[in-house]
Amino acid sequence: MKKIQTRFGEVEYDPSNLLHFPAGLIGFPSLRDFIVMPNKKKGPLFWIQSVDDPDVAFVLTDPTNFFLEYRVVPEESEKNHLQIDSDSECYALSVVTVPPDRKITLNLAAPILFSPKSNRAIQVILENTEYQSKTPLPA
Amino acid sequence: MLVLTRKAGEGIVIGDNITIKVVEIKGGSIRLGIDAPKTSKIYRQEVYERISAENQQALQWQLDDLDTVVPSKTKDK
Repeated sequence: MKKIQTRFGEVEYDPSNLLHFPAGLIGFPSLRDFIVMPNKKKGPLFWIQSVDDPDVAFVLTDPTNFFLEYRVVPEESEKNHLQIDSDSECYALSVVTVPPDRKITLNLAAPILFSPKSNRAIQVILENTEYQSKTPLPA
Repeated sequence: MLVLTRKAGEGIVIGDNITIKVVEIKGGSIRLGIDAPKTSKIYRQEVYERISAENQQALQWQLDDLDTVVPSKTKDK
């Protein structure tokens, strides 16, 4: 086990069990490895912490918790990044923004595709979509 | 920044495997054709920059938010 300091204090992690972003996230191309931090209270939000930058942590959620119909099909190039074939499971996750009024939004326009099999993830920007990058929770 | 002048039908080559061609010039717009490896993601600059800025904004949160910002009526998984 290894330890790093984060803005939430010390976090212990297993270096062999990191979520790997081969291309980083959009705007963060050099941050490739993240610790997945589950929600202790079993809520729908969890977070990922960069092992390279203590200040970089994102809140994520499975958007189908809120939008049952939401689906993203990975393109061939994205499957290559994830190192999966067409039969492998691939899930879409959303980056959660907590604005000052604390009415959170989900970025449905730039989902994170995640393969549990390879433990790899990639953030993609959906084109020609009606999904918004600042989607409020359903009323 | 390198600045080149091209006419419709002309192009530029970047490295070994990216080609950008001016397809059409019409009104104030230029249509570009891009050949690049499938592994290179291509985005309109303003779209890429907006998502990048939104990722930056998403860094602002506190641990308490994980359990308090979602309405309690939300279904359990």
